[in-house]
Amino acid sequence: MMAHSRKRRRFPYLEILLLAVGLLFVSPCFIALLNSFKTLREIVLSPLGVPERLAFENYTYLFTGVRLAKPMANSFLMCIAVIVCLITTAPMAAYSLMRRRMATGKFLRIAFLAGLTIPFQIIMVPLLQEFRMLHIQFSYLALLIHYVSWGLPLCIFIYSGFMSTIPKELEESAAIDGCGPVSTFWRIIFPLLMPCTVTVIIFWGLWIWNDFMQAFIIMGTSKGQLVFVQLWRFLSDKYVKNWNYIFAGVVVLSTPVTILYLLMQRRFIKGLTAGAIK
Amino acid sequence: MKRGIYAKEALTRMSSSARHGATRKHLHQAAASLILCGPAVLLYAGFIVFPAILGFAYSLTDWSGWTTSPNYTGLDNFRELTQDGRFFDAIRFTLFETVLIVVFFSFGSMLLAVLLDKLRILKGLIRGLFFYPYVLSILVSALLFQYMANYREGAVNTLLRAMHLEALAQDWMGDTRLVAYFIFGLVAWNGLGFFTTVYLANLQTIPTELYEAARIDGAGAGRVFTRIQFPMLLPTLTTNSVLALITGINLFPQIVVTTQGGPGWRTFTVGYYIFHLGVLSNRQGYAAAVSFVTFAALVIIAAVQVALLRRREVSL
Repeated sequence: MMAHSRKRRRFPYLEILLLAVGLLFVSPCFIALLNSFKTLREIVLSPLGVPERLAFENYTYLFTGVRLAKPMANSFLMCIAVIVCLITTAPMAAYSLMRRRMATGKFLRIAFLAGLTIPFQIIMVPLLQEFRMLHIQFSYLALLIHYVSWGLPLCIFIYSGFMSTIPKELEESAAIDGCGPVSTFWRIIFPLLMPCTVTVIIFWGLWIWNDFMQAFIIMGTSKGQLVFVQLWRFLSDKYVKNWNYIFAGVVVLSTPVTILYLLMQRRFIKGLTAGAIK
Repeated sequence: MKRGIYAKEALTRMSSSARHGATRKHLHQAAASLILCGPAVLLYAGFIVFPAILGFAYSLTDWSGWTTSPNYTGLDNFRELTQDGRFFDAIRFTLFETVLIVVFFSFGSMLLAVLLDKLRILKGLIRGLFFYPYVLSILVSALLFQYMANYREGAVNTLLRAMHLEALAQDWMGDTRLVAYFIFGLVAWNGLGFFTTVYLANLQTIPTELYEAARIDGAGAGRVFTRIQFPMLLPTLTTNSVLALITGINLFPQIVVTTQGGPGWRTFTVGYYIFHLGVLSNRQGYAAAVSFVTFAALVIIAAVQVALLRRREVSL
């Protein structure tokens, strides 16, 4: 450690080593990108070689053969709908539970906290039955309801943690000015929660776009026109895997999250770890 | 939306002032609670709590599908569970994976975080490389891994053959022994970035005075780790190991998209077994019983783990 300051301009062994390991770590992604421009024959014959010519037909097939455009739009709309529901209901509840004297406040706080521990497998089968009883089985509405209620405990948890950093004086002065609790929330608290809202948008946008399992279980493959469900459907009805289309699909579906990640890497990392550090 | 709430509020205010002048404020507060908390409580109670209770009710029945009506069978499902060989195989496999996952995400990612923390140049780029797989969908990672591990045309085996190491080329997903490590590799690749980042965030909170004091005392990197970094990282070790435990015990989307329990029944995790019983076969009642027993076990293990780890934490 003593030598540390003297050797400030030391040869960057560690940097080179970790860069090499890091590149090896993400090499499957590069291989996918490379192979998405090859024909199936080429992928089988030279999986690691450079493509002879850029086979863009893999990409065009995604939109003509697999018809991924509509599922992509659906997934995007689903992300927006879930996020809008979450960033309105969760902070309202968190505000009410944390800042206002409610008779059931303590009970509800514990109840929402307990929700963080419930695994999906427990509610999976009964939830399907419940949607059946409500006559909304295999519908987008059912999936939306599930995503929002599934997201609530964690969102309320994140918002509650953030709420404690907001000074109470603001609400008090608003109350003196004759502002009711609901308008106090929307006019004063909600704008201050913006950093937290951005976190929630990133976290859930990513999660819902990427989710395959829950959409598959709640909606099935024929009704659930969401991207990853449709990619899965395309895969499962073929005996021989058409790796060229799979790689093109993987690249296309990962592009939005990759762009989002590259644009806001710092925010991203902060947001994704927010729940864990608290 | 906003305007709707104001309107509702105004309505409540008007009616309450007209009828009960004295309790007006009280009613007003109650209405506000209803507007603020109502949607969240309704969704949470209706679509998380209610199905969980319904699931428990199903676990006491022989319910076997969508159309038949369930018959109450008491604890029969739980009795069957104690003699279900497949359930115990699934537990054994799940625990094996969980141990690998917990050890790797607790200590492997800690080591990586400590190394990443030492970087002077290219910090963001190198961290970004390790974090990147975390933003990918499980389905994407699973497909990439399946391709890499494919026996005939996979990248790993092709590379081995090209280097004349034919003997090392394996059927990574078809071999009953190797497939366990294949699943572990997939989970590890996906989650490493997340767990490392949580450690990195904690490392940044260690006051620099501690490092300076260590430098003055002539402590090397190893000592700095054992005496300063490791003790200071203990709270995150608790969080990470519990999160890793949950990841391990609930492991199942990765199985659905890769091996589907195979070869044979080798990679049936408890989560996949529940999915298999409840969604693929029609044994909903029994599936509910399995899910509750697993959940109870998870809560107990996590509680013991937290209690053990918390005792070792130091405070500043």
